[in-house]
Amino acid sequence: MGAPTWPPSPQRSGRPGEPGAPLELALRLEKVSKWFGGLRAVDDVELTVRPGERRALIGPNGAGKTTLFNLIAGALPVSAGRITLFGDDVTRLAQHRRAALGLTRTFQITNLFPSLSVLENALLAAQALTPAKFSMLRPRGGFGELDTRAREALRAVGLEDRAQSAVRHLSHGEQRQLEIALALAGRPRVLLLDEPAAGLSSAEAHLMTSLLRGLDPAITLLIIEHDMDIALEVAQHVTVLHYGKVIADGPREAVKADPTVREIYLGA
Amino acid sequence: MKDRRGIVIGLVAVIAAAGVAPLLSAYPLTLLTQAAIVAVLAMSLDVLLGYTGLPSLGHAAYFGVAAYAVGILATDYQRGFLVCLVAGLVLATLTAAVFGLLAIRATGTYFLMITLALGMVVWGLAFRWVSMTKGDNGIAGVPRPELGLPWSMGAPLPFFYVVLVAALVAWALLGLLVRSPFGLTLQGIRESDSRMRALGYNVWLHKYLAFVLSGAFAGFAGVFWAYYNGFVSPVDVQLVTSVETLLMVALGGPGTLAGPALGAALIVFLKNFVSVYTKRWLLILGAVYIGVILFAPRGVPGAFRRNR
Amino acid sequence: MRTRAFTVLLLATFVAPLLAPPAPAAQGAPIKIGFLAPLTGPFAQIGKDMVNGTELFLDEIKREVAGRKVELIVEDTEGQPSTALNKSRKLVEQDKVHLLTGGLLANVGYALQPFIDGAQIPATYPVIAADDITQRKPAKWIVRTGWTTSQPMHPFADWVLKNTKYKKITTIGMDYAFGYETVGGFQRVFEEGGGQIVQKIWTPLNTNDFAPFLSQIKRDSDAVLALFVGRLALQFMKQYEEAGLHGKLPLLGGGTTTDESVLPQMGDEALGTLTALHYSQAIDSPANQKFARAFEARAGKIASYYSEATYTNMRWITEAIKAVGGKAEDRAALLAALRKVDIKDTARGPLSVDAHGNPVQTIYIRKVERVGGKLQNTVITSYPAVSQFWKYKAEDYLKQPLYAREYPPCKACQ
Repeated sequence: MGAPTWPPSPQRSGRPGEPGAPLELALRLEKVSKWFGGLRAVDDVELTVRPGERRALIGPNGAGKTTLFNLIAGALPVSAGRITLFGDDVTRLAQHRRAALGLTRTFQITNLFPSLSVLENALLAAQALTPAKFSMLRPRGGFGELDTRAREALRAVGLEDRAQSAVRHLSHGEQRQLEIALALAGRPRVLLLDEPAAGLSSAEAHLMTSLLRGLDPAITLLIIEHDMDIALEVAQHVTVLHYGKVIADGPREAVKADPTVREIYLGA
Repeated sequence: MKDRRGIVIGLVAVIAAAGVAPLLSAYPLTLLTQAAIVAVLAMSLDVLLGYTGLPSLGHAAYFGVAAYAVGILATDYQRGFLVCLVAGLVLATLTAAVFGLLAIRATGTYFLMITLALGMVVWGLAFRWVSMTKGDNGIAGVPRPELGLPWSMGAPLPFFYVVLVAALVAWALLGLLVRSPFGLTLQGIRESDSRMRALGYNVWLHKYLAFVLSGAFAGFAGVFWAYYNGFVSPVDVQLVTSVETLLMVALGGPGTLAGPALGAALIVFLKNFVSVYTKRWLLILGAVYIGVILFAPRGVPGAFRRNR
Repeated sequence: MRTRAFTVLLLATFVAPLLAPPAPAAQGAPIKIGFLAPLTGPFAQIGKDMVNGTELFLDEIKREVAGRKVELIVEDTEGQPSTALNKSRKLVEQDKVHLLTGGLLANVGYALQPFIDGAQIPATYPVIAADDITQRKPAKWIVRTGWTTSQPMHPFADWVLKNTKYKKITTIGMDYAFGYETVGGFQRVFEEGGGQIVQKIWTPLNTNDFAPFLSQIKRDSDAVLALFVGRLALQFMKQYEEAGLHGKLPLLGGGTTTDESVLPQMGDEALGTLTALHYSQAIDSPANQKFARAFEARAGKIASYYSEATYTNMRWITEAIKAVGGKAEDRAALLAALRKVDIKDTARGPLSVDAHGNPVQTIYIRKVERVGGKLQNTVITSYPAVSQFWKYKAEDYLKQPLYAREYPPCKACQ
């Protein structure tokens, strides 16, 4: 495991030996499936995401969206298929190794470090991909660079004033913001956002939307969002999942107009 | 802030102990010595239980392995302090390194059961490998070490000060450890290992390192334990010792270092003094434990809940 | 809130010892005796018997010897060596006792030995029987008033050779030093006299089911020698009968297998078992009848060797204190007196001490019988004045290794 490759080196795109790939893809899923016993939670999913793209993943409850995220992030092993990240096959790679390649995620159900402070949460994210995390005898204060990076991530989501608060004392909305900050502090290339606006009031959701829209355009975003308005405001491209299968994929207007999609999802 | 309070209370306790020691008769002094040694054991377990969220029920194993190393080397081979110290530390660390490979994959109750079983293996060895350990009879007559100091370690006071210094060193090192980035990593694992994985941590590796380090410090305590008692027996590695250590940590408050250390001292004194005044001392100790479990905000149940 | 309560508790426990008044050591002050016994944990019942035996004798002498009061300070060892060590330190260094006594388990005995010799405090072991404490690792300051584990087994083997037709014996015993020394003592004398141990089975201390071990026993053995203690003795007896072995394969045993601390809870399955020990509650002597009756009246249960051991131990100690004219402060003199005790009429018979600090005493060959509706260890015969070295010369005996799991080796086992 080396240091994270950020910013992504330009030499890596346009890999030789892959004809027909004019631009290297940030993320590519080929015939990815996941079975739980007899249940096909994710079924032969094909998905390609270009670098810097904002992609929304929508579908009714139980469509397999979060399972798909778990497969991409490496929290669950795939039953079949292949996943590549910037051209590297990561299908069998452990979750932390994928994170080292620049892939990170947030959680639908807030997953933070509740008894630590906000700053400590961000520090954990900032040091995750640096050798400093193995440092055992130097106090945390001695790592200025990490501290800066952690505070930057907090500033990006507007939490810099709450740095010393314990996470469990934050409001739900603030905790959702911190979810994003943790993902940003590791400086990811591909970011998987699992319902970032879950449980937010409409005012907070609005704040979250503008936060997401203001993210570094170099970051590739894949967003699961239940709230169509938010999803379509952030993403230009939409993939629709239904019973584990991709039933539509394309620019948002086209997907919006798709009759099947309207029937099973938007129409209701 | 809570950190600082722990350090202050701990330092006050250490200074008070060091100050009154010359005024004490031999018996309370030996108890203070014992308290200091057991405090190191409790702090070593705190790294696992309090910081990493791993409730080990086999901690007596590393403690005991080191004590046995000292017992055997100091009696059968008449080795000096340095050889015994290094051998004790190395063996305890190696034992933890092997056991960690087997235990770390498991979590929660399963981790508890596996560490318990591994601890029993060491107990069984201590009991059955008679040619090495003298079995149930134990190894008696471990001489106090010669440290090249002007004072004989055979006297209770100099030995107490040596142990106190050793305990302070252990406390300082562990204190640095938990305040380092690595220590933060361990707390992150305690709070949410799924998030840690998503952030890019090799959770297994960090847990493993914590497990081995914790074992090494338990071994450090074990070295002094062998010298303190002058005697090593399977009792030192038995389940009761592990459980008692776990309760010391719970009593003092896991994840504070100073707390478990004081919890350890408290139990040593409770055991030895309450029992003088009443035969029902076990009842009192039991009531203390139950009180902690019911009322301590971060007691044993907290550690288990986090781990689920 | 919690912190404050914690602080108070902390202060209370740390300050309490400082307030304890220093003990005066003047003549005329009471003679203090520190007594160690397991009063909590799995051996608490035996610990209670030990205390009762001691108190019984002290009451009989009105807690006075050579014109001085005797004060007994009892401490709980929990059956653990490290606790026993702590309590011994407390008794010697804080309470300033003149003599230390008690203890049940061998590991406690070994753990205390360096401390006792280091503190140069006269001590006696009434129950701890581990052979080497008075053999290969003798302690200068400890006098044994009880027995060594193998002491009754040597004459027992002699008796079995001469009075039965058993030539091939299987042994089954608890897998620890007490078991090894019991079986080892028997094996040595038995095989030197022409008998054979054909199989040795060791059972773990935490055995819950003896069936798998019982099924291994060679059915063509002439008899089985069993060594168990406490709960395991009860269970072994029951399962021995359930396996259909009672009455088919005669049962011999170490003394604890049928001693009076477990015998009242046994049934007909124990009948006929032959054992050897330095005591039986059924010894028909005036001294024993008096002791046994008094103990039963006091404790509400029949006397066992544990209570007799501590009763006689206290008598031994008072004899020594009398011999030094009550000057218990003179430790060397007291130790010398302890090593010279010679009493003709203890509950277990005449007692004297050998040069290594172990009693020379009568060993009783006993058989479990039902008398007046109750089981008892009827004395069949006795071997007077048995030393821990049996008929061997002490020097030769001590050149042999300590009896162990593999010693003596089992030559007739396959």
